[in-house]
Amino acid sequence: MTLRSQLLKGILEGCILSIISRQPTYGYELSIRLQEFGLSDVSEGSIYPILLRLQKEKLVQGEMKKSESGPKRKYYSLTTEGHEALKQFVHHWENIKRPVDKIIEKGEI
Amino acid sequence: MNAKAIIELNNEKREQLNEENLKYYEDMLVYIRLNTNKSEQQTEEVLLELLEHILQAQEEGRTAEEIFGKDPKTYCKEIIGEIPVENRKRQILFISSIILQFLAIISLTHGIIGFGLHYFFDLGSANTTFSIGSGIAILIIDVLIAFLFIIIIFKWLKNTVFKDDKKQKKWVEFLQVWAFSTFSIGLFVLVIYLMPNFGTTVSIPTIYFAGLGVFLYLVSFLIERKKRSIQLR
Repeated sequence: MTLRSQLLKGILEGCILSIISRQPTYGYELSIRLQEFGLSDVSEGSIYPILLRLQKEKLVQGEMKKSESGPKRKYYSLTTEGHEALKQFVHHWENIKRPVDKIIEKGEI
Repeated sequence: MNAKAIIELNNEKREQLNEENLKYYEDMLVYIRLNTNKSEQQTEEVLLELLEHILQAQEEGRTAEEIFGKDPKTYCKEIIGEIPVENRKRQILFISSIILQFLAIISLTHGIIGFGLHYFFDLGSANTTFSIGSGIAILIIDVLIAFLFIIIIFKWLKNTVFKDDKKQKKWVEFLQVWAFSTFSIGLFVLVIYLMPNFGTTVSIPTIYFAGLGVFLYLVSFLIERKKRSIQLR
């Protein structure tokens, strides 16, 4: 895997953890949220392999539940490890965000 | 919700797909399901999610291709790569129940046909005589042939999914499968004929095999139920 796609995947994983941490979310809803936040370059389908991986790593858990509108859906929620991983992601992100922004701004001048 | 219930739900929901999306989705479904060493529960859960996603997008006038891209095969490989391997105990139960069903069918057919031929047409004898040693050797080799047959057919199926020129080559595909099946059945019978006699010779009434067949089937059914009761994620 290239560094570029690894970086993007890591960031996307963090975003998914963050959205799920607010309330139990199902696949379609999650992809819509990501798009609403402006991540429109992320192809909709790409969330499912990531969700499977997050389940394997026990960061999220899925549960088949009846939704308000009727059909049974698989709702994801964070596990304790998931909350921990999210905290770490936010921490790493905060550390990298500003320096990177600064470097890019300097470069443009 | 266990895998069986999810499969039923999937069958129901799939009917709501339009023709284009159905074709796209069913190829994905076949390709992903053909990986029998993967967790059945996780496989069915993700398949239902993909279906739900397409259905919701369909309501908004979008197609499956817009969601999963023009290269569904690569996408499916990515999905399969992330599905955990099936629990060992469930795998063993699954394979045992298939072997038992296979033996049950052979035993039942032999019992009924052998008995029928003798009773109604006076052909053959009422008893089946065989050597225990050769009998067991034949069963083991034939079970192996059957497994090889299944593995090759699955591989072949995986290669034929996602092909656009499917319609034109339908008859070629049919011939391939037909030739391969004939070859396998031939091999199967050949083992029975070529096996030398060894071990104690026994003679039992042919109709007993029918009874044995039913018994084996019941056991395989119980094993299948046991497998379903193990819910592991």
